[in-house]
Amino acid sequence: MDNLAYKDDYGNGSQVNAQNTLQLIAFSIGEQTYGVEITTVREIRAWNGATPLPNTRDYVRGVINLRGTIVPIFDLRARFGEGPTSPTKNHVVVVMSVGDKWVGILVDAVSDILTVSKDEIHNVPEGNSIDTELLNGIVTHDSRMVGLIDLHAVVSGAKLDG
Amino acid sequence: MSDLDDFKATYFDECSELLLDLEEQFAAIEAGDRSADRLNAVFRAIHSIKGGAGAFGFTELVAFAHAYETLLDYVRDGRIELSEPVTVLCIRANDLVADFVNAAKAGTSLGATYGADERKQFDALTSGEVVPKDDNESGEPMDDFDIDFTPVMVELPSAAPQPEPVEDAFVHVPLAVEKGHWEIRFAPHRELYARANDPLLLFRELANLGELTVVAKLNEIPPLSDFEPFGVYCIWELTLVSPDATVNDIAEVFEFVEGNCDLSIVQLARSTPAEPSLADLAAVVAVPSAAAVDDEPALSFADLADAVKKEAPPRAVAPAPAVAKPIETAPAPVLAAVDEPEDRRTGPEDRRGAGVQSIRVDLDKVDRVVNMVGELVITQSMLTQQMDDTLRARYQELVRGLEVLAQTTRGLQDAVMAIRAQPVKSVFSRMPRLVRELAAKTSKKIRLETIGEATEIDKTVIEQLSDPLTHMIRNSADHGIESPEKRIAAGKPEIGTIRLSAEQAGGNILIAVEDDGGGINRERVLEVARGKGIVAQDVTPTDEQIDQLIFAPGFSTAAEVSDISGRGVGMDVVLSNIKKIGGSVHVKSRTGQGTRMTLRLPLTLAVLDVMLVKVGPSPYVVPLSSIVETIQCSRADFGRTPSGSQVLRVRGEYVQVVDLADRFQLATDVELANRFVVLCEAEGGTKVALVVDDIIGQQQVVIKSLEENFESIEGIAGGTILGDGNVALIVDVQGLRAPSLHKNAA
Repeated sequence: MDNLAYKDDYGNGSQVNAQNTLQLIAFSIGEQTYGVEITTVREIRAWNGATPLPNTRDYVRGVINLRGTIVPIFDLRARFGEGPTSPTKNHVVVVMSVGDKWVGILVDAVSDILTVSKDEIHNVPEGNSIDTELLNGIVTHDSRMVGLIDLHAVVSGAKLDG
Repeated sequence: MSDLDDFKATYFDECSELLLDLEEQFAAIEAGDRSADRLNAVFRAIHSIKGGAGAFGFTELVAFAHAYETLLDYVRDGRIELSEPVTVLCIRANDLVADFVNAAKAGTSLGATYGADERKQFDALTSGEVVPKDDNESGEPMDDFDIDFTPVMVELPSAAPQPEPVEDAFVHVPLAVEKGHWEIRFAPHRELYARANDPLLLFRELANLGELTVVAKLNEIPPLSDFEPFGVYCIWELTLVSPDATVNDIAEVFEFVEGNCDLSIVQLARSTPAEPSLADLAAVVAVPSAAAVDDEPALSFADLADAVKKEAPPRAVAPAPAVAKPIETAPAPVLAAVDEPEDRRTGPEDRRGAGVQSIRVDLDKVDRVVNMVGELVITQSMLTQQMDDTLRARYQELVRGLEVLAQTTRGLQDAVMAIRAQPVKSVFSRMPRLVRELAAKTSKKIRLETIGEATEIDKTVIEQLSDPLTHMIRNSADHGIESPEKRIAAGKPEIGTIRLSAEQAGGNILIAVEDDGGGINRERVLEVARGKGIVAQDVTPTDEQIDQLIFAPGFSTAAEVSDISGRGVGMDVVLSNIKKIGGSVHVKSRTGQGTRMTLRLPLTLAVLDVMLVKVGPSPYVVPLSSIVETIQCSRADFGRTPSGSQVLRVRGEYVQVVDLADRFQLATDVELANRFVVLCEAEGGTKVALVVDDIIGQQQVVIKSLEENFESIEGIAGGTILGDGNVALIVDVQGLRAPSLHKNAA
């Protein structure tokens, strides 16, 4: 205990370390890997169907019952404009908290927990509006590119107008 | 830290209850009930509010409540007659107390002058007729003692309502009494210590008033074998020499331990030079009861009175060695004495003991139970659905168990809902004040009648009711009721009536605000609505539709904006608030005779009786309360309007048709003939026919919010979780009807 505190004082301890790094849950859509900060993730569950919501965008898969509360599910593939996912039992819903709301995103699979340094987060290159809108940044892990999902952007504007 | 906040929250809760109680008492008093119970209840309420305010240091509130309390005290004694103006003043004072409480709650100040007028009136009343009734200085007060202070009262300090001792009889001390010599006997109860009071602090406070001598009487302390660690054995006798102190000053020191101690405050009489005669001394011996006063836990005024009659035994009240002078000079004892009136002790806790037992529970905790019961109901119905005939035959015990479970969960659900149910009185009772103020502002004469206050409805619904009712009553007072001159000219009684009523009708509560005013001015409404583009120029709405227009956002017929109404917010607030809780609003007006606005509200928000239907692949539920009937499509009489929209003819009426599959963009492969029409009634009695693929059955569901994690969706009122764990969406009948009506109107 004393020892640890001593180390922290000298900047080698885990606490200081944690301030410079980010832990991500990484998941895949097709070949591409994306990540969200681990602290936002509440639960990971297998796809078990959802009740479709009328008058919503096509990337809103519907709502599920999460122990008595109704949680909307967003199809991340469809959100990226790559067409709707045809989910199987092997597909995964990652339930996360965004602000004070809980939402689920439908992904192909959860692959890993990654620890990346904050210094390694790159800006998303300008060009494709979908990328800049939905990603907070890009990090490299094991020479793979991981897109950091901007959850607020993903869940906004889900309702059809009129 | 948060403890104090907790106490404060409890205090404010209590205040609002007490204020409601005040309204109620005065409603009865206004109606002619002048019984002492009413006044005592009023007095208690104000006193409790003042007491708590003192503890939290809400000085403005304390000052006002104190002045008001003094007035009430005079009224209670009969020294001021509870005449009409006094009643009006009291009602005004109640409103002010409510304002002070709210200010204290908000942590703001209303300023020193707030309520000053009323306080002046209190003072004028109280100082005007102070003495007349009890200025007898000639020893006759003793007779009053016999009447007012029964031994029973003193010996059973915690007994329920007692005849009020005439406290102020002693406040206005006869002149014969020597100024400033007080004997105080203070016998704390155990509760006093339990509530963390410290006699030392009280004595210090007393010492500020004058020269104080404190003697602890220890002769009650039992032998060690009988000693209880938390027992209270010590009684104090104090002598205060203070030329200026009044009995009120002294009583005030003990104000916050009232009810937790036996207290007597006695002023000693002027010294007389005469030596005590042998006869006097003999009298002492002959009157054991008087001599025993010292040792009795509570000072018996009957004894004192006896003693006085028997020519003043010297030891009657002044036993302490410290009080040398009175003893030497053989005072004629006790011309003034005060015992705290029994009634004042009756805080909410005491009432609880006597009447309805209740506890205060955080609504969140109740809601958690409600939610869990909801889940339980779902699980139970899921289990029941799992039972097929083979299982039934094989496991009869299991079947029986499930049946019992079903019954129990149903009972549990009802019981939990009953916890949340509250009488509408809690919101109705806020309205008399509103009407009084509106009447004053508009210079109209308005009487408020309330009916069905005991009707119970879910707490959440009640909370949402206050704003709509306020707006509706404002509307009635401002637009409905005419000025007295107009009313007389129209041959109506000068005083307008607003009737507020509540009744249960099936699964709904109907709350109506009805006035006997002029009714809705339809030409004016239509003109304004056309002017604002709410109604297209070429559309001619029916009278009923015009009436409903007053709920449109931004609509106001008021020629000029007053501080009561006219800004065009208000009635649309009514509609949106009521819609939010799953209710509907209907207005019915008769020109020259009045307007009746009815709110139809669900009994409870948590559980809904629904019909489960299927549209495409998805289950939907329709609230049973809005369903009129269901018809097979093959037997339904459909038609088409020139615009191409479908209508249904049912019993000579043409009804708008909404195909849920179309509206919700769901693919359906069910042939029209095999589909069903669910005929629903929306707001204002207009009907809409929903076309669905199949009707699955009826059940109870727990309403879940979509907005909690998502956002509201047009045509969907919420979600619910079915027995199989899947989510079904609740159809918003009103919301489905609305858009196409706009299309027609625009």
